[in-house]
Amino acid sequence: MKKIAILISTVVVLFFSGCIKELDIQPLDAIDASIALETAEDLESAIVGAYSIMHSGALYGTNLNLLPELLGSENYCQWRGTFQSYRQVMNKNMTIDNAEATRTWIAAYRAINVANNVLDNLNKVSDTDKRAQLEAEAKFVRGILHFELVRLYAKPWNAPNTGPKSRLGVPIKLKGTANEAAASVKVKRNTIEEVYAQVIQDLKDAEAGLPASRNGNNRFRATTYTAKAFLSRVYLQQQNYSEALQKANEVIASNAYRLNASVTSAFRNKFTGETIFELYMNEQNNAGTANDGLTTFYASLPGIGRSDVRILAPFANLYEPGDERLTELIYIGTGRRPGSRQTGKWTQFEQNIPVIRLAEMYLTRAECNFRLNSTVGSTPLDDINLLRRRARASILSTLTLDDIIKERSLELCFEGLRIHDLKRLELGTGSFSFDHPKLVLPIPEREIRANSELEQNEGY
Amino acid sequence: MKQLVTLLCFFLGTTSLLVAQSYNISGQVKDEAGEPLAGVTVVVKNTIRGTTTGNDGRFTLQVPGPDAVLVFSYTGYTQQEVPVNAQRELDVTLVESGSALGEVVVVGFGTAYRQDLTGSIAKLSSKEFEFQPVQTFENAIQGRAAGVFINSGSGKLGQGLNIRVRGISSVSAGNQPLFVIDGIPVISERIGSATEPDNPLATIAPEDIESIEILKDAAAAAIYGARASNGVVLVTTKSGRSGRTKVSFGLYGGWASPTRKRKWLNAAEYRELFTYAAQQSDFGELDAAEEFASETGTDDWNSNYDTNWADEAFQPAGVRNASLSITGGDARTTFLISGTFNDQTGILRGNAMDRLTGRINLDHKASNRLRFGTNLSLIKSLNQRVPSDNAFSNPLQLNALPPIQPKIDPNTGKLNQNTLYYNNLIDLENGFNNATTYRSLSNIYGQWDITDRLSFRSEYGIDWLNLQEEQFRGRETLDGAPTGESYSNQVNVLNQNVNNFLQYVQKFGQNFDLNATIGMQYQSGNYRETSSTGQGLPNDRFTKIASAAKIVQGASNESAYAFTSYFARANVKLFDRFLVGLSGRVDGSSRFGKNNRFGFFPAGSLGYVMSNESFLRDNKIVNFLKLRASYGSTGNAEIGNFAWRSLWGANFVGDLSGIVPTRIGDENLTWETTNQLNVGIDFGLFNDRISASFDYFDKRTKGLLLNLPLPASNGFTSITKNIGDMTNTGYEFVLTTQNLVGKFRWTTNFNISTYRNKVTNMNGSTIDGGSRQLGRVSEGQPFGYFWGPKYAGVNPDNGNAQYYDTDGNILDQDDFLALPDEKRNQIVGNPHPDFFGGMNNRFSYMGFSLDVQLQFVYGNDLYNIAGFFQSVNGDYFDNQSKDQLNYWRQPGQITNIPEPRLYSGNGAIKSSRWVQDGSYLRVRALTFGYTLPRSLTSRVRMENLFVYVAAQNLFTFTKYDGYDPEVNATYVSAVNLGHDFYTPPQARIITLGLNASF
Repeated sequence: MKKIAILISTVVVLFFSGCIKELDIQPLDAIDASIALETAEDLESAIVGAYSIMHSGALYGTNLNLLPELLGSENYCQWRGTFQSYRQVMNKNMTIDNAEATRTWIAAYRAINVANNVLDNLNKVSDTDKRAQLEAEAKFVRGILHFELVRLYAKPWNAPNTGPKSRLGVPIKLKGTANEAAASVKVKRNTIEEVYAQVIQDLKDAEAGLPASRNGNNRFRATTYTAKAFLSRVYLQQQNYSEALQKANEVIASNAYRLNASVTSAFRNKFTGETIFELYMNEQNNAGTANDGLTTFYASLPGIGRSDVRILAPFANLYEPGDERLTELIYIGTGRRPGSRQTGKWTQFEQNIPVIRLAEMYLTRAECNFRLNSTVGSTPLDDINLLRRRARASILSTLTLDDIIKERSLELCFEGLRIHDLKRLELGTGSFSFDHPKLVLPIPEREIRANSELEQNEGY
Repeated sequence: MKQLVTLLCFFLGTTSLLVAQSYNISGQVKDEAGEPLAGVTVVVKNTIRGTTTGNDGRFTLQVPGPDAVLVFSYTGYTQQEVPVNAQRELDVTLVESGSALGEVVVVGFGTAYRQDLTGSIAKLSSKEFEFQPVQTFENAIQGRAAGVFINSGSGKLGQGLNIRVRGISSVSAGNQPLFVIDGIPVISERIGSATEPDNPLATIAPEDIESIEILKDAAAAAIYGARASNGVVLVTTKSGRSGRTKVSFGLYGGWASPTRKRKWLNAAEYRELFTYAAQQSDFGELDAAEEFASETGTDDWNSNYDTNWADEAFQPAGVRNASLSITGGDARTTFLISGTFNDQTGILRGNAMDRLTGRINLDHKASNRLRFGTNLSLIKSLNQRVPSDNAFSNPLQLNALPPIQPKIDPNTGKLNQNTLYYNNLIDLENGFNNATTYRSLSNIYGQWDITDRLSFRSEYGIDWLNLQEEQFRGRETLDGAPTGESYSNQVNVLNQNVNNFLQYVQKFGQNFDLNATIGMQYQSGNYRETSSTGQGLPNDRFTKIASAAKIVQGASNESAYAFTSYFARANVKLFDRFLVGLSGRVDGSSRFGKNNRFGFFPAGSLGYVMSNESFLRDNKIVNFLKLRASYGSTGNAEIGNFAWRSLWGANFVGDLSGIVPTRIGDENLTWETTNQLNVGIDFGLFNDRISASFDYFDKRTKGLLLNLPLPASNGFTSITKNIGDMTNTGYEFVLTTQNLVGKFRWTTNFNISTYRNKVTNMNGSTIDGGSRQLGRVSEGQPFGYFWGPKYAGVNPDNGNAQYYDTDGNILDQDDFLALPDEKRNQIVGNPHPDFFGGMNNRFSYMGFSLDVQLQFVYGNDLYNIAGFFQSVNGDYFDNQSKDQLNYWRQPGQITNIPEPRLYSGNGAIKSSRWVQDGSYLRVRALTFGYTLPRSLTSRVRMENLFVYVAAQNLFTFTKYDGYDPEVNATYVSAVNLGHDFYTPPQARIITLGLNASF
């Protein structure tokens, strides 16, 4: 009997110990964070993941385009959709729980966290070239998103210093979050100057480490020229015309890009020769087909879009009658809310979304050359006429700064530059001066509740 | 682990070896009328040795010696102890008592006599509900078990029921009890992709069930440890019986109709109301005909249609059910083979469900000490579903369509496509939504009675469930237009379970009885799902994705969990009157964070059988009196399979995929803990003519899973942590009386229960139900209390809707809306009942029997979200409930319905305007039957023939003016209890049936 007892006990004990091991069950639809970033391949996946967040409606997929446009809506465009959040942005009466201000903040820092996680795990990559490239790309992501945040959630760079609060930027995040403790850290807002300095540093590092070109499915990823193009945007925002000029010229002079033959091509085809940074969409993975996405909000075609945004006459009337940017890129809606003017740039759910085009570099180069009275790369008049010729608009023989500014808005309308240009040019919009507090998004209420160190913006 | 081995050796070592002189005894058990009683439990006192009587009432049992004592127990009969006195043949007559004291109750990993229980357990035997035409067995519990609150939620077939044992003990980790069928915890969580998923328990045939035990307090439930906080429901299936092979056959069929239909405006009333509403619109004096034309694009205002759309939601409904069971065997092998077929047509158009089940339960004694057995079951069911409550395609939403619009378009002769909202009859003509389930709940066991006092039992069971969801929406339908859409989802769930345990009984001296159990349990669960959607089908005769031009969606996923557990229990009886129970369980689970992987769940209980004291023994009035108390700890482990982990998941860019962090985890995250105190008293008076029990419980739950907001600048918005607390306290009272005994028999069972729920710690946060819902969770209030603006009726001077501010001032709507949030919202209701319960009366005379089951719920509030559309004094063109005709027309008029003003929102904001008392009393079940005399049936070699008429939900008494007060829309989040949104009513079912055995 004793032997039997021992036998049973042994069997039972063996069985039990086996079962304890069975408790370590790994998920299959996801990977535990502790083993997610172990190889160069994992980090490569994470970088693509950072882009995937940037492709979402909260960032470049919609809001980093639409919010700057709606903030400068006066005499330009009108939001008439049902979403209160966008209506508030257009009316400049955002509440602190505005859904767009909230989701864009969250998504931007989510992507920054992915980039920082890549940077924190670079030691897992033994190949030095590979490591340098991953580092540059992660810094590119981190840099441009801090830039977008500081432009939307803080006063303009060129706003007068009216006290410490007027120079509040956004928190700079340079460390990835890997555990609960890191996820609970409460940070303060850095100054606008600190954020711009960090952005420029990151983009310079990116410029140095990124490859000159991308192929195949990777064409949505940054190259050294994408970093240069963003640097030129950053410098221009700082009214640093000589640096902006230099970076724009470097992009143009590289001959890595060329203007498309038609004004529509960049918006009808994927990865044309003109785009320097472009979001990669397809039928299943896109910024939205129902309640999100540029096409949903901007288009009014049978079965496509809701015409939530229409173009107002004063803006459409700025074009010359034969300008193809009017005849080919502004149409009268035939779908939902028919009969209004719509932009022809965003007309298919699965279309790629150009974020920076070569045309912008020409416009930046022309403006800076004009302001600095120089002709680096070309004359302002030639640069402007290059774009006008393509659009079948009349060729100019003389040029003023206003002509260049106007050309810029004719060419780049509804591409997310509107309020940023109005601010750096100190033009303001409607009755709002360029540094009006209501042209700045509120720090999301949920964020202030979760982080007592954050100060709310003036005016909220 | 070492201790465990030592303990095992101790048990085995101290057990006395085989007792000499053992021999076989056999006999027959009969009732007072001399009929053999099948299924009576016969046990040799103070040992584990036992058997049950066969179909002929006969038993054979090896007894250890001539001085052994046999204990005979059977539910509803007085327990008897009979000394063997060296006899070899023993006939026993059991006396019917209606008393439950002597019944055998299934507890986790064993059984016990009710009189020895120190925990709180409700038992329901199949005899109590066998002729009730319920589709799923949980329905049978409704109103019959104290402390168990059941709400069917809606009248859709195969839908999940809400079962709450002693209140609500979780905010986010689920509130359904753990279901254990024949020792195997089964899949009861909702699976599949529908917003209102199927109820997996609806696949189990009620006919196969022998008994249902509900473990309520910690003393009873702690043996199930980390999964027992919401109570444990133990289901035991019928087993085979020796003796002559017995064939039983049951058949019933009947009709079903909605418990209630509501009254809506007819065409003339509709025109009257909206003509007035248009004239009074804030947008100027509008013309109703013009407005209607611009909203619908039709000229229907000027036509002569009068359609009763609400009635179109319903269809003639009914049920057919057939069951067959065959049992028999000999002293060594017994079997039960059963099959059932159930076919229901739902009251809601397009809703139907059928179920086919088969079962073999087999038990074999290899020797006097070794037994094996298996329960095998196979089930197939097909549920033709209706869309969730909030879908435009939900047939009940037809009641929103204007009566002035025709059902059939006279121009096309087809279903009208130009209705105000989608004419969802098109869905039924032009699509389907089928859910087919295949399931096997099967197990095998081996039991080795090592000695008379010690046995080892090993059980292995599986619960395998395959769900196939197929939906087709044709080109004419709202969702399938313009080219048709086909969706398919395959879900495969496999639960495996192993139980190994030792049971030990010992009597030490005269006054110390020990009953102990020790063992382990291992369970693993695996869930796999594969789905795909195709669009672009050639025409509506092609419904499979293979014919679709475009695959627009595809996914496969998998999840898994495991539990490893050790448990022990000891029950001691001292001096035949002091009862002490101790139990403990250690639960480890993959679901618990790696820093907190094992939990310990102890419970202790005391009982004092006062009636065994000399001063009460042979008392003429009190024949039984027991005091009970228990305290212990249980857990809730429905916290998600990987909630504690930090995870990275895939995210897409065009044709490429990358990875992103999807959540940040708390490595300490673990079960929610409930500590429960229970005190109770059981007593029997006048020889159990009156028996009753009373319980008080106090459940304190801590470590509720809540989301703690994080600064998003670190990349995450929240983390789930064990931070909340809540309490539930309440009373339960059960009374059973034998009003009349003898030839005319009348028995009454009455139960009433309360619970008071209070959320005591939410870490300062609140959870709100949504923009249209009233449910809310916050500190100091019951879970899901109603929170929002309080309606104050109509200003008699101007017809404006009025609301109370938080100071009690009455304000017109516009002034009210100008107030800040904190002045507008207040408590406007409580979805929890003050008390609930049921009463059962059973009458029998000669062969006739009548069984009436009442069920009641009192004091809970309901909120009809659909009021926004259907009872809003013609704010938009939705058809209105009839009461809206009593609208304000002239100054001075006192009414509760504001002046109709088209599009103007007068009285249309979220408010208590649509909150109502949800109390009801329902004749839940009624069975009237007749057993034909044996003299008649024996002529056709029939042992028994019973014919009956039965009804379910026969009458309902309520003040609620919606369809049905038993409502709980499931598409809204779980904090919104007692919400109604185009939710279909329950069915009233009337059946005729017969049961025969040969």
